[in-house]
Amino acid sequence: MKRREMIRASLFAGAAAAVRPPLSAAQSTAMPSELTPAQSGVDASKDLSAPGWKPLFLDEHQNETLIILSDLIIPATDTPGAKEALVNRYIDLVLAAESSEAQRSFLNSLGYLDGESIRRYRAAFRYLKREEQDDLLHALAYPRTASGWSGEADATPDLGHAHFEALKQRIATAYYNSQIGTKELGWDGAFAHGPYEGCTHPEGNHK
Amino acid sequence: MSNYLFLVEDPLQQTYDAIVVGSGATGGWAAKQLAEAGLKVALLEAGRAVTPKEFTEHMPAYKLKYRDHSPEIVRTRPIQKQCYACMEYNYEWFVNDLENPYSTPAGKPFTWQRLRILGGRSMVWGRQSYRMSDNDLKAASRDGYGDDWPLSYADLAPYYDIVENYVGISGAAEGNEMLPDGKFLPPMKMSCGEIRLRERVKAKFGYTVTIGRTAILTQNHKGRLQCHYCGPCERGCSTFSYFSSPFTTVKDALASGNCTLITNAVVSQVNMDNAQNKASGVTYVDRLTRQVKEVRGKTVILCAQALESTRILLNSSTREYPSGLANSSGALGHYLMDHVVGGGASGRLADFKVLPDANEPARPNGIYIPRFRNTPTSGKHPRFIRGYGFQGGAGADFNFDAEGYGASFKKAVKEGVYSISMGAFGESLARWDNYCEIDRGLKDAWGIPALRISMTHGDNEHALMEDASATAAEMLEAAGAKDIKVQANVEMPGMAIHELGTARMGTDPKKSVLNPYNQAHDVKNLFVMDGASFVSSACQNPTLSMMAITVRACDHLIDRFHKTDV
Repeated sequence: MKRREMIRASLFAGAAAAVRPPLSAAQSTAMPSELTPAQSGVDASKDLSAPGWKPLFLDEHQNETLIILSDLIIPATDTPGAKEALVNRYIDLVLAAESSEAQRSFLNSLGYLDGESIRRYRAAFRYLKREEQDDLLHALAYPRTASGWSGEADATPDLGHAHFEALKQRIATAYYNSQIGTKELGWDGAFAHGPYEGCTHPEGNHK
Repeated sequence: MSNYLFLVEDPLQQTYDAIVVGSGATGGWAAKQLAEAGLKVALLEAGRAVTPKEFTEHMPAYKLKYRDHSPEIVRTRPIQKQCYACMEYNYEWFVNDLENPYSTPAGKPFTWQRLRILGGRSMVWGRQSYRMSDNDLKAASRDGYGDDWPLSYADLAPYYDIVENYVGISGAAEGNEMLPDGKFLPPMKMSCGEIRLRERVKAKFGYTVTIGRTAILTQNHKGRLQCHYCGPCERGCSTFSYFSSPFTTVKDALASGNCTLITNAVVSQVNMDNAQNKASGVTYVDRLTRQVKEVRGKTVILCAQALESTRILLNSSTREYPSGLANSSGALGHYLMDHVVGGGASGRLADFKVLPDANEPARPNGIYIPRFRNTPTSGKHPRFIRGYGFQGGAGADFNFDAEGYGASFKKAVKEGVYSISMGAFGESLARWDNYCEIDRGLKDAWGIPALRISMTHGDNEHALMEDASATAAEMLEAAGAKDIKVQANVEMPGMAIHELGTARMGTDPKKSVLNPYNQAHDVKNLFVMDGASFVSSACQNPTLSMMAITVRACDHLIDRFHKTDV
């Protein structure tokens, strides 16, 4: 949302507030810049689905890789998955605003995925067959356990798993904070759910 | 005033009976009590007014541009964002760190989380409300460390009653020797896991697990509606169900017709009539225009938050009080405290097959385990004095940490995990070498000299957290928890957001700044009625006690005022 629109939105919010302020008119009104967009009533939920969307940070290859990866990690089932939730677009938006360290860390993880893919299949991740993508993710998704021979835990850090977890964390956060993800968790879209009933089990039988 | 370019004086300006600096939990009470007693009050707030129109408690995260990962917070609130309550929804309520600097010595980090808005931190506070007992107020007599408070539980109890009756505290009476019962609204309910913890901890340890005592209404109360359990109080409450001063005490003060609210008034110093050794008012910088203005008053009451009130006094030095106003004792700035946090444990109650429910009412409260170490009945602990209380909770959560990926991950997230956790708040001992002073090389955006804060947690605080971590794990194990993870770090000072001390009260003017009625020993018409006055921190969340102490001090002030004795 453009700054001018934000100011307008907050002016309307101010007009509505005049209906019944709980405090006396002695209150000074806030300057628009002193409200967060949320406090001004800005609804940014449609921003990412705007036509003509282009990534702010990711290049085309990275973006396409992220779309495929996100859809493998959270696929459409009987409910929509990460691709439909435009998880790639949200991650791109956040990355564009983050520190160069955070940006580099994300690209390192995405690059590791391509590196492993090229090492194993001689092609970048996005060009693999679906089964190959699945095999590769499966190899990274679970932490390496200790080798049975020495009886000691593997001292080298499980780099592949760490990169996988970093990417998965981003994707899962983006998905479950999206409108689609919120619905996936079963939220009915209403607030004010009280009263809180707590435990309703008979004494000593909490199952 | 030589450091200011221009001073605006209003020739028609009246002299108020009382100037209250700060509109938070304590300032709101001071303004209400004094205005309702007939005093003409000026209530000064450094921030702007707040209206319910900007409350966002019912807005889902997907409506936020960054879904609560806003880079604006990182840019302008690098310190404030350490507070869980500072988020993309409401970060403008928190101070802009770039405009409000302070310094710390190398190796002594301190996080100072604060709001400048009508109501101050009462807009986002944790709402947990516990009384102190004589075990806290007279702790020095019992274990030999530090100083007793110059007042006892019997002095405070009637004021706890007044505050609780007005604020509305939900909770359960337990008859615990360390945690006096209060005037409670009906308690919130406990979850299955919490009830099991309560039963097992009582059986195995003999300790009490109770529902959190919280300043949230469980029934309609004095014109405010009961809680509707939407969850995120810190984004504002459209039904005013949690206590915040703008919609309660400040509203009452204004309704009395005796209180003038001046917002955007960044107070820089208390002004003195040196000939009479009396405060004559305060100087403030208009936050928006940067004009310097003065308000005159017969009494000055600082309720700006412990460190801010002390900063104002340190910035108000005169020839008579060269090291800070009302600081003949030298104690001003010293004995800074903040509860030690970081010890605790979490786990899973695997046998509870309860699915998480996104539509379930969200209880904005947890459980509380009152202090059980170094009590009259427990005997002395060999490794530390004082003690800690636990706060925690148990319930079914979505399992976002489920392993794997794909459809099975999606399913596992919804199957959830029944988790249980608890974290300790430990007493922070009052120590001379934990202090704040003016940093001569640092000013805020309004030209007001900033603080240098020097504080560390000591050996006793570290020992408290070690014991808390081990004990939390034992309690969770007793409750049948699996995968117990022990949290054993000591967070940096400031993380509890319970800053206390720096203008302590006492009977001896050589060792304390304030008398037992929050009145400066040195300057009779100057009061500090906030956490700065605390002699010791106890381990209970302090806001309820700060409010009770304020109401008590106001009673004294009103009495003296009518006898023209201040």
